[in-house]
Amino acid sequence: MSSPDIVTPRAASIAPKKRRGLLRPNTLLIIALVLPGLLLAVLFKLVPLIRAFWLSLLQTRGFEEPTFAWFANYQSMLRDPVFAQSFKNAAMVFVTLPVWIFLPLVIALLLFQRTPGWKLFRAVYFLPYMIAPVVVGIMFRQILSPEGPLNAFLIGIGLGPLAIEWLNGPTSALFSLTAVALWAFFGLGVLTYLSGLATVPQDVVEAARLDGAGFWRLLVSIAMPLIKPVIGYWTVLCMSSMLIWMFPLIYALTRGGPGSATMLPEYLVFITTFEFLNRGKGAAIGMALFVFAALVSAFVVRRMYLEGKGRSS
Amino acid sequence: MTTVLNFATMRRQLQAGCAAVVLGVAALGAPVFAQDVTTIKVLNWQPGGPEYWAALVAAFEAENPDIKVALETVPFDRYPEVQGPYITTKSGPDVMENNGGLELFDRRSAYLALPPEVMAAGDDLITHSGGCLNFDPTQACYGLPFGYQGNVMYYNKAVLTEAGLDAANPPTTWDEMDAACKAVQAIGKTCLAHGMTGVFPAYWNFPEIARNYLTEDDMRAILAGDMPWTDPKMISILEAMASIGERGWINSNSPSISMLPDGADIFSSGNAAFASTIIADAVNWQAFGTALGDENVGAMRWPMLVPDAPLAKSFSGVESSVFGVSSWTDKQEASLKFVKFIAGVENGNLLTSLGGGIALNKNVDPNLIPKSQALAQIREIIKTPTLHVGVLLSGQEADALGRGWQEVTLGRLSVADWAARLQIALEESPGKN
Repeated sequence: MSSPDIVTPRAASIAPKKRRGLLRPNTLLIIALVLPGLLLAVLFKLVPLIRAFWLSLLQTRGFEEPTFAWFANYQSMLRDPVFAQSFKNAAMVFVTLPVWIFLPLVIALLLFQRTPGWKLFRAVYFLPYMIAPVVVGIMFRQILSPEGPLNAFLIGIGLGPLAIEWLNGPTSALFSLTAVALWAFFGLGVLTYLSGLATVPQDVVEAARLDGAGFWRLLVSIAMPLIKPVIGYWTVLCMSSMLIWMFPLIYALTRGGPGSATMLPEYLVFITTFEFLNRGKGAAIGMALFVFAALVSAFVVRRMYLEGKGRSS
Repeated sequence: MTTVLNFATMRRQLQAGCAAVVLGVAALGAPVFAQDVTTIKVLNWQPGGPEYWAALVAAFEAENPDIKVALETVPFDRYPEVQGPYITTKSGPDVMENNGGLELFDRRSAYLALPPEVMAAGDDLITHSGGCLNFDPTQACYGLPFGYQGNVMYYNKAVLTEAGLDAANPPTTWDEMDAACKAVQAIGKTCLAHGMTGVFPAYWNFPEIARNYLTEDDMRAILAGDMPWTDPKMISILEAMASIGERGWINSNSPSISMLPDGADIFSSGNAAFASTIIADAVNWQAFGTALGDENVGAMRWPMLVPDAPLAKSFSGVESSVFGVSSWTDKQEASLKFVKFIAGVENGNLLTSLGGGIALNKNVDPNLIPKSQALAQIREIIKTPTLHVGVLLSGQEADALGRGWQEVTLGRLSVADWAARLQIALEESPGKN
């Protein structure tokens, strides 16, 4: 008589086959879902990156056939004082990052709390983001001119000493450019944070209010901890904007001037490539910009990962 | 029986009618297929405006029924970034516009050397050397021009009169200009409306001062990269450029505004006595005349620093642009016809009457020349041409010149350091090393 606990040879041979059969469709499904995105990333990100790196190793003289030159373009880049200036300017723009991160958050929380007029303000804050950056630049070139409305307003309210030539100053030009960029982009930040705040349980908010939490306590102790991933995401997006998406504003507002006061690496890539006809050096500057952006972004993403891992452990 | 016969007759008649219709339609269609129309693509930044270009294309197509022109128009300041990829991929337009001088030299591999039968059209032009190597028509030429370009100083007679100056005799020397500016400033107006952003203000104004210190051989040395920016002649030019701000001639926000449209707007509004800008293609005598009244607008050379210099009373002229045939085109014959037409008298007449330009063709109908005091003065000024040294600068040099001028004007850069930067720019310039 056979014991019920004994596995017969036939049953033993069926089990592994069944498991293999179950895994195969899942594996194929995973591959089918991941592969298109991966291909897109490779084709439109990795391949251009490799080509750009290769180009950065070539000496290009106008439209003549390029010649291999190892790291000559990088040496030239490092000797270029404008290159150093552009990264210094980028660092100065980075100093304003806290404003980019927290100002939209404060506004978003005010809207989230249904502050009177919140629907109107939500639309108003998002409106600048809808305007083309070049148009924003042209518009603010007039607003910031010495005889423009901003200075007229300052003079009108008795703050004449503050009515400076905003785009002429060695620091005010970059400050003005950054402020205009913030004005243009921060509406997207408000919208992003509102999306994050929508996931905050209302009962938690109500409980905090019942415990006497005011606006700032609500912001620091409730909102920020609960939407940390959104803050991290917005931080990465802001850094990308500072490094990669300022070009149309620079082009329309200052052209990197006066002198190189508002030169940023991305604009330097443009003029080096198209105005100086030095594609190799332009690519080298682009690679330097990529490395810089990658390092900074990696730092933030890593912190997000570690925090997430810390929560799970 | 009668009915059957009638039906048969009708049937035969219908068949004959159908056949006639078919043959007729076929005959009508035949000429269309027989013409074999060639379409050429022309990359351009539309100097002279859309009305002029529509007329140009219509005139060319009327003269050449077997050729159709498809324009790809790009704003001037975006032109390099559009043209560049075409050149690197050796594909795209059949005909391309280009500035003369070093810009064309740097891109010469993208253009065909024009054959003698096309270059013969250049004999009817005031000048066409800008499309040729080293500005020498006996060397390879890659484009033919149609309009003349350069820089003058416009002046507002009403403002000069208000300042107590003789509007009929504007300043001709640096010292006279300085005195005039003091008088204009005394009535609360800007003397010289100016904007420095971008490379073009420096690019345009540099030649106006350079004529006081350079010979044409010096200018060719600049083209070849053999004239160091630390040369005393070059230092003198830079010092003169720097002095414009130091003397207070220009509006204080000049370093951060453009000449077109911002600087021109200052002049057009009647708030400045002088403005330095180009003679064609963009804001010029025509726009200023419309804004201020033709009777109030005059044009003159920049004031002289060294009146007895050989080129001090010359005009730094350059072809406004040239048109050449792309080296990759498979429609050479049609493209060459277009380039030749560009330089012809018919186009010259259109440019004069519709484009507001100054035609290079010597045979333009004088009756078509607009009645304008400033234009008449310009036409006198351009009769003594010399090289336009601005177009002999590389992109690096032009950029360093422009940015340096901004910083010098703001007091953040010395002339010596400016010259040093320019020398580095020269050394980094492809095509000059």
